[in-house]
Amino acid sequence: MRAVLRVLAPLIALALAAAGVLLVIEVVAAWLRPSLPEAVDDGVVVPWPAWQAELARLTWRSEPVPAVAIVVAVVGLLLVLVGLLARRSHLGLDGPDPAITVTTSPRVLAQLVGRRVRATEDVTSASVTASGRRVSVTAQGWSDDQQLRASITARVEELLDQLPLHRRPVVSVTVHERKGPR
Amino acid sequence: MSAASATSGLRKRARAAVARSAAGDRSLAVLVGGLLLVAGTLVALLSYGVFGAGRSARPLLDPLIIEALRAQALAARLVAIGAGLALAVLGVVWAARSVRPEPRPDLHLTGLPDTRIVIDSTAAADAIGHQAAALPGVGRARARLVGPEQRPALRITLWLADDADVRAVLAALEREVLAQARESLELDALPVAVRLELDAVTPPPRVA
Repeated sequence: MRAVLRVLAPLIALALAAAGVLLVIEVVAAWLRPSLPEAVDDGVVVPWPAWQAELARLTWRSEPVPAVAIVVAVVGLLLVLVGLLARRSHLGLDGPDPAITVTTSPRVLAQLVGRRVRATEDVTSASVTASGRRVSVTAQGWSDDQQLRASITARVEELLDQLPLHRRPVVSVTVHERKGPR
Repeated sequence: MSAASATSGLRKRARAAVARSAAGDRSLAVLVGGLLLVAGTLVALLSYGVFGAGRSARPLLDPLIIEALRAQALAARLVAIGAGLALAVLGVVWAARSVRPEPRPDLHLTGLPDTRIVIDSTAAADAIGHQAAALPGVGRARARLVGPEQRPALRITLWLADDADVRAVLAALEREVLAQARESLELDALPVAVRLELDAVTPPPRVA
């Protein structure tokens, strides 16, 4: 979301600036030549007299108006969401000093947990998703469910003990037993 | 200033150094998006006759409004020009702020009279980065100075080895790198934002 915002924000700002410049140009131009004949009476950059005629013809009930309004509202909603969701997504860790802020990303935590889980005996494959609140591990292994889940949970908890995370995430482990010959 | 508020100020500056602030961009997006959302919703409701069938049958460019503007032509023009200028200035300022690169403050030392010593931002940051990369458990490190020139802060990214002990690495960073940097750069306080990443590892062979 932050990347989207980095691209969108200057574009929106430039669009606002362009709209302002066009508004000034058209208003000043229309002011300075009020007595021109009808045929020449057109906008300098924007053909606004044609737009004016079209807008005067349409009523609020006419066909494209509600559709355009809904599209505008949806675009606005998306912009608001981009703005609100472009927060920093990082996990805080305890630093050795108050003047030191330590952060890492959920992706790094997931990678750490994944390496630890895959190094467990009897695990053939594992996928991990991590956020500040929860670490979810889905693993496939040879031994029976209970035992494998217990050993994976123990290894992940051991890893979390070593990381000075501000907030310790909840660990949830799902295990699928692998059938067939080893 | 009491010690407690100094500490909390340092902590705040360290937290601000974690990443470039997106507050301006975010408020712009929320403001413009909110206006579009409200305007679009109101027009849609009007169009579907929520505010009365008679109102929705009026033309978009209402003759009543045109008449009112014609009656106050000068005022309407001045307001339009003022609004246009305000939009243009605001838009350009906003765009410039959001594409401007993040400042890298140089450091000014005041050790000797009659002499001004300036340490280039990149040089200082690279020196700290090299020292940090030499710590045990750290594969790579990158540092840069951020913030205003009077109150610089350090942002440092550490790529940790797989078996690194995070607590030990952070303690060594504070003890061996940052303490020395504060001393040699003559900074009483240097807020630091550390970002931890994982160094790429070559996977062990699947088959022995």
